[in-house]
Amino acid sequence: MIPLIILAIFTLVLIGFLVFQVRSRYSAPSRTPGSSQLLPVDLEAFDNLTDPEEEQFLRSNLSPPQFRSVQRSRIRAARAYVAILSKNVGVLVSVGQSARYHPDPQIAASGQDLMQRAISLKMWCLLSLLRMNAAFLFPALLSPSNRITNQYLMVTYMATNLPDKIAA
Amino acid sequence: MSLQQIHWLYNYLWVAPHLLLIPVAAVMFRRGLHKKFPIFFSYLLFEFSQFAFLFFLHDIKISPASYTNIDLFFRIGSIALRFGILQEALEASLGQNMPLRRAMARVMNWATFFLVAVASIFIVSLYYSILNHRTFVAYVIVQALNTAQCGLLALVFAWHRFLGLRMSPMVFGILFGMGLAIGAEPLIMALKDTFGIPGSTITDLAQFAAFHIAAVSWLYFAQVREKVSWATETSALPDLRQWAADMGRIAQL
Repeated sequence: MIPLIILAIFTLVLIGFLVFQVRSRYSAPSRTPGSSQLLPVDLEAFDNLTDPEEEQFLRSNLSPPQFRSVQRSRIRAARAYVAILSKNVGVLVSVGQSARYHPDPQIAASGQDLMQRAISLKMWCLLSLLRMNAAFLFPALLSPSNRITNQYLMVTYMATNLPDKIAA
Repeated sequence: MSLQQIHWLYNYLWVAPHLLLIPVAAVMFRRGLHKKFPIFFSYLLFEFSQFAFLFFLHDIKISPASYTNIDLFFRIGSIALRFGILQEALEASLGQNMPLRRAMARVMNWATFFLVAVASIFIVSLYYSILNHRTFVAYVIVQALNTAQCGLLALVFAWHRFLGLRMSPMVFGILFGMGLAIGAEPLIMALKDTFGIPGSTITDLAQFAAFHIAAVSWLYFAQVREKVSWATETSALPDLRQWAADMGRIAQL
């Protein structure tokens, strides 16, 4: 009887999950890529927080306990930046996905390209967050990655050009 | 409900959803969706073929043992195809970006491996003490794979949500229908095990009913066209321009 009860709960959870998916698909208002959804990110500050040279400088000038403490604070701040970047990239994915339906094939292709690059970037953000979490646990052994900055700039550049292409 | 009515309902729920798969395949073919979802299209044909074959075996009154073995063989085929369908649903929105598709395939393989392992442990721990060896192995394989597929299905939904991607109606329909079809299976198999032969008609009816709803949902979503169009977005062009200006400001180093 116990397996039956457990599997009944499992099935109910799954059915509840499916109902939630249907509800959220049909009840949520359609998202418009507006400025209100974007949060500003100071990329220069983020670069400083993840700069390997800066980290090396701190490592050589601070005692190991001090370095670990400072590095954890830096990682905590960098993690907040990546979380915001990731949120913004989610907006870019939506914009790219919407642009795919534009009647002009060139804009539709740009939208497709933007969406795919934004998806890649979103995955990099996720990996970066995982790495930062690991680095937070072992600050002396691991460093946070700053590889996403350039990709973010490229994707935002593509997104910024999209309205100009539409207006042209 | 009289016995005759139950018999009629049983036959209806067994036959109708499988016959519905043909219109689903036809709609997909007409709309060119069979090229985009070849594994799901193959699954529809496979499910219909297996139904036709099993119905024929049932009609000629084959021995229950042989019928069960053949049924199990087909179930394994369905499970294998469903893994492919889940991968197809995950990759559907990625277009022809091969590096991204490869990366997603790797993620999916690892997730599958992990979920099958977890589901096997879960099912083994549930049935460890109550089943004999032969039944136990068959149960573990089918139940664990079904349970793992439920987990993968949830993962595909979660992944789209994480990326901020809106699923196309067909992808949503495939996943929703599959969720109904496979989500009920672990419970139905447990019910069959607990109540034995007398309860099997009711459990079969429940299983067929779940598959019927799945087939109807596939038919509905195969016909639905994507409602998102750029026409709605052009009205938001001023917003997009402001947004672009903000982006330029934010990205400035």
